[in-house]
Amino acid sequence: MTVTDVPLANPSPATARRRGRGIVPVIPALAVVVLVFVIPVLALLLRSVLEPEPGLQNYAAFFGSTTYLKVLGNTFLVAGTVTLATVLLGFPVAWFLAIAPSFWSRLLFAIIILSMWTNLLARTYAWMVLLQRTGIINRTLMDLGLISEPLPLINNLAGVTIGMTYIMLPFMILPLHATIRAIDPAVFQAAALCGASRWQAFTRVMLPLAASGIAAGALMVFVMSLGYFITPALLGGTSNMMLAELIAQLVQSLLDWGLAGAAALVLLVVTLAIYLVQLRFFGFGQARS
Amino acid sequence: MLLDFARLGPWRVVLIVIAVLVGAYLLLPILLIVALSFGSSQWLQFPPPGWTLRWYEELFDDPEWIASFLTSFQIAAVVTVLSVVIGLMASFGLTRGEFRGREVLRALFLTPMILPVVVLAVALYAFFLRLHLNGTFLGFVLAHLVIALPFSIIAISNALERFDRDIETAAIVCGASPLEAKIRVTLPGIRLGLISAAIFSFLASWDEVVIAIFMASPDLQTLPVRIYSTLRQDLSPVIAAVSTLLIALTAALMALAALFRKDARS
Amino acid sequence: MTFLEISNISKTFGNVAAVNDVSLDIAQGEFVTFLGPSGSGKSTTLYMIAGFFEPSGGDVRLGGRSILAEPSNKRNIGMVFQRYTLFPHLSVAENVAFPLRVRRRSAAEIGRKVEEMLALVRLEGFADRMPAQLSGGQQQRVALARALAYDPPLLLMDEPLSALDKKLREEIQDEIRRIHRQTGVTILYVTHDQEEALSLSDRIALFNHGRIEQLGKGRELYEAPRTRFVADFVGHSNFLDCTITRSEGESADIVLPDGGMLSGISLHGAAVAGARAGLMIRPDRLRLSPLGQAAEPGIDAVLSDATFIGETYHFVLATGWGASVNVRMPASRVRPDEVTMGAHMQLHWEATDARLFCH
Repeated sequence: MTVTDVPLANPSPATARRRGRGIVPVIPALAVVVLVFVIPVLALLLRSVLEPEPGLQNYAAFFGSTTYLKVLGNTFLVAGTVTLATVLLGFPVAWFLAIAPSFWSRLLFAIIILSMWTNLLARTYAWMVLLQRTGIINRTLMDLGLISEPLPLINNLAGVTIGMTYIMLPFMILPLHATIRAIDPAVFQAAALCGASRWQAFTRVMLPLAASGIAAGALMVFVMSLGYFITPALLGGTSNMMLAELIAQLVQSLLDWGLAGAAALVLLVVTLAIYLVQLRFFGFGQARS
Repeated sequence: MLLDFARLGPWRVVLIVIAVLVGAYLLLPILLIVALSFGSSQWLQFPPPGWTLRWYEELFDDPEWIASFLTSFQIAAVVTVLSVVIGLMASFGLTRGEFRGREVLRALFLTPMILPVVVLAVALYAFFLRLHLNGTFLGFVLAHLVIALPFSIIAISNALERFDRDIETAAIVCGASPLEAKIRVTLPGIRLGLISAAIFSFLASWDEVVIAIFMASPDLQTLPVRIYSTLRQDLSPVIAAVSTLLIALTAALMALAALFRKDARS
Repeated sequence: MTFLEISNISKTFGNVAAVNDVSLDIAQGEFVTFLGPSGSGKSTTLYMIAGFFEPSGGDVRLGGRSILAEPSNKRNIGMVFQRYTLFPHLSVAENVAFPLRVRRRSAAEIGRKVEEMLALVRLEGFADRMPAQLSGGQQQRVALARALAYDPPLLLMDEPLSALDKKLREEIQDEIRRIHRQTGVTILYVTHDQEEALSLSDRIALFNHGRIEQLGKGRELYEAPRTRFVADFVGHSNFLDCTITRSEGESADIVLPDGGMLSGISLHGAAVAGARAGLMIRPDRLRLSPLGQAAEPGIDAVLSDATFIGETYHFVLATGWGASVNVRMPASRVRPDEVTMGAHMQLHWEATDARLFCH
């Protein structure tokens, strides 16, 4: 395309050229987001410093209690483990997808998309069945004589981690795949001509080039895992709660709105901080995908 | 070398093994559900001792399952229409408007998608308690609309940004009024964006469970709420039947999306 | 007779003047090209006529009536864009029919007109194709048919050939010329390609920095450029630095850096003795002779490069003070034994082919 004098892409029609042009069609969406999102969330957060009386006692209670700190610890532990597992499994898969013969990469792609789109409850149900004491995994292992007692795979953090890794894998693979696809294969020919072995080409060329994709995917998986509710609620145990479950329980069973608000704020602050890091380093595109 | 599958050497074996294992990890649970839904064992034995349609019969004979299915569908349908219309308007404003704070607004519109749903669920539950909207159709629609709108705005904004605006200008020079040009030229031009906005909005509402768990009343339950509360009690094979239907729906939507992509390419 | 009258229009974006007091009268049936580098204001002027921009000042009258108050869709102007801008979801026939449909014409008229237009652009068999199934050249012909379908009195073309490759460009240029002859429509054409402008237009308006630098037939711009910019932009030029020793009206005497004197050269712009100026001579108006053989004004120079490019020879010579001069000569007039690197030659020219432009 040749450059014209003025890009016609944003002409300002002769009729209306005022500041604020085009804001009107945004109003309905803005109204929905403000009324059904901004106000309720702010109201909840406010309750954390107003109930039962004004002050920071809810935060003192949250950070002063070993129970709640353990919940926070569980949350970070699970999110961290899930992130690590998705990176280790997701990187080779993304790599495979980028270079494998098209039939195989398309097949795997279809599986990933199908899994990602399948109802979350259906997938969690499958893992509940698989991980039970008398479930397929335990029975197979016992039949093979590898174990004599069923492994405790469900109602604990192990079950939560297995189930969440399953759910988060596509969110790691897809952005990583895009990053690896964008690498010019010629750089590896250049590396080879420069005398680099496969291993050197991997550690000195491939990993640095894929680093931004790995970091973006890892941040996204980590932050999504932090706030996850359904999978921990169904695969986890009552003694090893995660933060989202705690918030739900504070509201549903204990009716402690102040403390729930405080826990929600902690979750929001961590989430937003990680998103800001992501925005700062990788732009908005990654955060959206 | 590293991006050439044929010349990957021994690394190729490693990649293939991991890809096969991950593929199995992602696919087998889904196949398992489908198999169990036709299996005759109440206790979810695998491989099933026999095959049966009993769980589907139980499902379709239970008016509560049917009711929750219909509720979910109605809510999702209304949410889809609202989300596409409001999202279309907002996308026009966001991509073409010339007002200050456009980028801030865009970020605000996408926030409901990135924040933990449980926070929104608890917040909305409290808010709707005062407005007496919990357990109402309107309450569900409003809540799911907030979840669906970001998907709609992303899909339509992307399509609008890719759409060559000179084509709309050309229609206006040809004599069409600005509105007529938008309806006759721009909307058909971004139809793929509109379709994916509709699909994503529908799924966002249809699959939404966290907010629904808080808001649901015994009289008005969406399908995910019903699955969730059943799951908390036992792992009935009826859930496998419901899940299989949901998987079939997903596969159908995927096929539909693939078809539209092919259509767009030709 | 004036048909389109552009009087004193200006356009400022912020505090940048994109178009600065441009006036131009165009007769019915005329083909006028706005030529100029990017950012010169040529497209902005076109967009003001189309109604995409509101002028900051001035007026545009079509057939004696101001059109500025009318929105684009009421101006009844045809336009062909840089990219093809066909409606991707409509067939070729439906694209051409679109302006007639929005004008609520009868089905019979639409059918007849579409057929006529497709015949005009020689795409009779393509009515049912979709735009994506056409080549770039075919798409631009459909765009042309669509723009002419409602018989607009004025057709605007905004760099319509820039997305096409060279061979196709020449082909479509011929089509545009033919269609202009056949329909008699008044055409305003924007391009940055001088050859395109020269081959298509009745008149060219050369834009620079938001103003019309010179308006005239292509040959006038080439042979009698009024400013150094025109001389430089239209065709190729050599500029030799020199100092004016005496000026009188439109004629001046100069001294070259090596002390050589030349007199009676036609001068543009006022100049006083001692002013620095550029001596402009077209490469194809220069001749080369062995030293001392020419009687005309001349400069001694050394042959430093010679390239044979088919019909012509392209020589580069270095003057005594280090300036380089390009010369183009028909290959038939060059004897092979003349082409010796490092040979001392004399450059000479007809007095009327040299021009002086003050700095």
